Amino acid sequence: MAYTTFNRNDFDTFAQPMFFGEPVNVARYDQQKHKIFENLIEKQLSFFWRPEEVDLTNDRKDFIDLPEHEKHIFVSNLKYQTLLDSVQGRSPNVALLPVVSLPELETWIETWSFSETIHSRSYTHIVRNIVPNPAVVFDDITKNEHIVRRAISVTEYYDSFIHLANYYTQLGEGTHTINGETVEVTLRELKRRMYLMLVSVNVLEAIRFYVSFACSFAFAERAKMEGNAKIIKLIARDEALHLTGTQHMLQIMARGKDDPDFAVIAEECRDDVVRIFREAAEQEKGWAEYLFKDGSMIGLNKDILCKYVEYITNQRIGALGFDPVFESRNNPLPWINAWLNSDNVQVAPQEAEISSYLVGAIDSEVDTADFGDFDL
Amino acid sequence: MPGAGKTPRVGRRRWVKPKTIYSPAQTELDLPDTNHTQITFDFGDDVPSRPLRTKPVSEDVEQGDLFGFMAESPEPTPQIEFDGMQKPVFEVQFSDGRTARFQHANTLLESLESQDIHIEYQCREGYCGSCRTRLLEGEVHYIEEPMAWIDDDEILPCCCIPKSPLHLQ
Ligand code: FES
Ligand SMILES: [Fe+2]
Ligand SMILES: [Fe+2]
Repeated sequence: MAYTTFNRNDFDTFAQPMFFGEPVNVARYDQQKHKIFENLIEKQLSFFWRPEEVDLTNDRKDFIDLPEHEKHIFVSNLKYQTLLDSVQGRSPNVALLPVVSLPELETWIETWSFSETIHSRSYTHIVRNIVPNPAVVFDDITKNEHIVRRAISVTEYYDSFIHLANYYTQLGEGTHTINGETVEVTLRELKRRMYLMLVSVNVLEAIRFYVSFACSFAFAERAKMEGNAKIIKLIARDEALHLTGTQHMLQIMARGKDDPDFAVIAEECRDDVVRIFREAAEQEKGWAEYLFKDGSMIGLNKDILCKYVEYITNQRIGALGFDPVFESRNNPLPWINAWLNSDNVQVAPQEAEISSYLVGAIDSEVDTADFGDFDL
Repeated sequence: MPGAGKTPRVGRRRWVKPKTIYSPAQTELDLPDTNHTQITFDFGDDVPSRPLRTKPVSEDVEQGDLFGFMAESPEPTPQIEFDGMQKPVFEVQFSDGRTARFQHANTLLESLESQDIHIEYQCREGYCGSCRTRLLEGEVHYIEEPMAWIDDDEILPCCCIPKSPLHLQ
């Protein structure tokens, strides 16, 4: 179906599937087909934060004092996270918005992706603080073979879907000849690619970030790079929400609660889902090895991090209704939960900046005492 | 301490008690069931309500005597009876044999933690799904609308309280 910015067809908005129905017209939130997306929007908005609220001046000193192999761990994770959020800040919009059919879902996608741009901006904030020239960090992202390898697996499902969806939104279903090349566009194949893409997004936000999170919190356990850890806590909070969003999309699809085609596709793709999760977990273990190539950091080593990857993979795939992929049943890093929870770190104001989530809150309580010396 | 594990600890711990408070009855005093009444207004599935904890019903408690009732021994006065309302103390049983007793805690998760049963958590607000637990028997009431995806036979202990004795996996 050709894309149109404001669909003028007469149709029942609430009878539309999540994707590939009528293009959205009125951005209305008074009723929702899937209320969960409205809830996610509200929650994400309540999470709003700005990187500059977190003071990183102590981190600069900490970083200078870190041994070389720990600097490598810190900077490499930062590069990897920058890659992941660069992708997430753009691709959900590019891939999903042209084919979305529900206003609340459309806005959730935009809200989700917008929050990723905050994550990206926070990396610039962090990098500026630790190195005099941020370019040395950012420029390496497209050159470093370990990062590039990850970039390929992170984006392949996005690209494969977007490629076909572009033809679909322009030309519709059918066999088309484009620049002498024959392209077959079927809705069925498009839906299959979308399902796999959402699985790979789920893996990105549910597993790929966590090696990095663990390292950041392990530094902070030693009272090193604490400003960074505070930012990572805020990012982790957002990611937990994004993860829930994708899990809902995937489960709504798999259970045929929306478009019956997707229930069939989900069933057919079960092996692919397991493969995608397993491959990602193996890649993350490989990443842990690269991080610790010159030495472990205090409190964390390659083995325990690999166990954590396996544990978290089991958790996440379990949430999609699959059996565990690995042996690990217990969390090998139980202390991480307290860090991943964003409410339990109390910082003395003189010690570090409090990350205040309510920006620009105005005290509307007016007391008579406030007018004590107020003369007309 | 929640989050304490086998991993060697390094540096300063920054764990601070969660924002909610454990009721003393949960951890230390084993007060008889009749001492407090926990009332939950159930509006059905749409409106998650907070449990209200009332003082014991006693004529003797003076106005302003805010803490007296906590140390008091149970009054002979019977509790107010609400039709169909069950006693607020529930046994929680796990398939591996561990048992706990829910009484007066803010959430099932807090209750279990205070009895040294640790469940994975992250957000403690019902949106991340980390605490997802299979419910084999029993019923819970959500005090906050859960957002994380859960199956029909699963619960999120971080944002619910029991409505009956529970059997968890
Ligand atoms: S801890 Fe996040 S849903 Fe329970
Ligand atoms: Fe992000
Ligand atoms: Fe995200």
